[in-house]
Amino acid sequence: MLTVNHLAKSYDGEKKSLTDVSFSVHPGEVTVIIGPSGAGKTTILRSINQLIRDDDGEILFDDTDMRQLNRSQLRRARCRIGMIFQNYNLIEPLTAIENVLHGCLGTKSNLAGIFSLYSNREKETALKLLEKVGLKDFAYQQCRNLSGGQKQRVGIARALMQHPKIILCDEPIASLDPKSTITVMDILRDLAINDGISVLINLHQVDIAREYADHVIGINNGQVVFDDRTQALSDAAITGIYQKGAVPERSLVHEF
Amino acid sequence: MNSNVEEMNDFFTKKRFKLTLLIVILGAAYIGASMGLGFQSHSLLNIQDGIAWLIQNFIPNEASKGYWHEIVQQLLRTFLVAVAATSCAAVISLFLAVIGAKTLTPAITISWVIRGFSSLLRNIPIVAWAMILLFSFKQNDLTGFLALFFMTLGFLTRAFMETIEDFGTEKIQALQATGATYLQVIFQGLLPEIAVALMSWILYMIENNVRDATLVGLLTGTGVGFIFNLYFKSLRYGAAGLVVLSVIILVVTVELISNLIGRLLS
Repeated sequence: MLTVNHLAKSYDGEKKSLTDVSFSVHPGEVTVIIGPSGAGKTTILRSINQLIRDDDGEILFDDTDMRQLNRSQLRRARCRIGMIFQNYNLIEPLTAIENVLHGCLGTKSNLAGIFSLYSNREKETALKLLEKVGLKDFAYQQCRNLSGGQKQRVGIARALMQHPKIILCDEPIASLDPKSTITVMDILRDLAINDGISVLINLHQVDIAREYADHVIGINNGQVVFDDRTQALSDAAITGIYQKGAVPERSLVHEF
Repeated sequence: MNSNVEEMNDFFTKKRFKLTLLIVILGAAYIGASMGLGFQSHSLLNIQDGIAWLIQNFIPNEASKGYWHEIVQQLLRTFLVAVAATSCAAVISLFLAVIGAKTLTPAITISWVIRGFSSLLRNIPIVAWAMILLFSFKQNDLTGFLALFFMTLGFLTRAFMETIEDFGTEKIQALQATGATYLQVIFQGLLPEIAVALMSWILYMIENNVRDATLVGLLTGTGVGFIFNLYFKSLRYGAAGLVVLSVIILVVTVELISNLIGRLLS
């Protein structure tokens, strides 16, 4: 489904943010990427839909290399990749339903998108998705008036509007209270189990990763240091992931 | 304990010293400048005589009532020139700001060109604009319109550009991630988010331009500025005072309305 091979990225041309990252994501599974701050988790996620242009490697999404696509091909590929963010990134003055409908902009013509000419079918789908995340009654509320947990659920509905094969979640619960955290994580897990969508999540919280993940990838200092089923994530493995310099020596070369 | 108190006293003494120094420097600058200009400070003592003269002559009297009709007519002209110049400049500014903002620009060179262009327009004083344009466009409303238009274009382009840049890239990226096009991102994401901020800049600029239009009219021989000049030079001070009063009323009204709209929007 999604395979990342030898991904590398450097922001300033010298210090590498990612060095040779490879992993695979499988359909219908929750894959969680954990690792210390600055390890490169966000860079990995944003390289997948090419919001960040990486330097080297291969990102195979449905056997197509995302890195080789031209502009319009990339647009089309992005339509099938949903994304949610720590700060939700909704358009706050617009209503929940309008934000959800943004999810189908990629499949619309330029003008139809600009003037919000959505079909009845699209509007019905959007409403159904809001119902699915428990926000049907909030459809016509401005997003700025919603709580953090509600905003994140609108974000999920927007991603689902794309009929995605995979949803990328960049620290989706970092700004949420414990109750909303559980609501959001439950929804994400259901998407994997019931809809067969791959869910790839960046997380800080190891306990949440243990509870929800099928598959865990540990990143430290721009490298994959753990890649296995969740059952194999022992305390020793966690210490390894979060240890400073818990990487093979060759990456240390860049530091000194 | 004692040394703490001493340290504190020391700190406050230094602060007081700095303040005294600042006041002395400002005073010295005034004295230096007025000596350079040959300005006689003691004439300030007679300021009340000047004000008394102003009040006696400029208070509108029975005779100036007859001018109401003409003043209101010209005031309206001036106001319309200001509104037309501002709204026309606002539309073009928005376009320039979108392609000029660092977060959305198609090429960084375009951004620099627009930045330079807008600061050029902005930094030519409105009076200079009016006088330059007088040569080509003569004394009519269009000259005033263009002078206000160019100044406003420069100012609003810069203001809009900063508003757009403050908006950041995160939300833009979120919409790009859905596969949205450049124009879709601008119309569906950027504009709804910054609409209120844009509106308050435009209202601010209308207020400003109503004031400036009076001054420009004085040079281009149109509108309320022209009749002020006319009455003033023909020694009809009462009528000129009435013009000033009507401009004040207009500016305050525009400001009140713009505050009201601002509150309704947010």
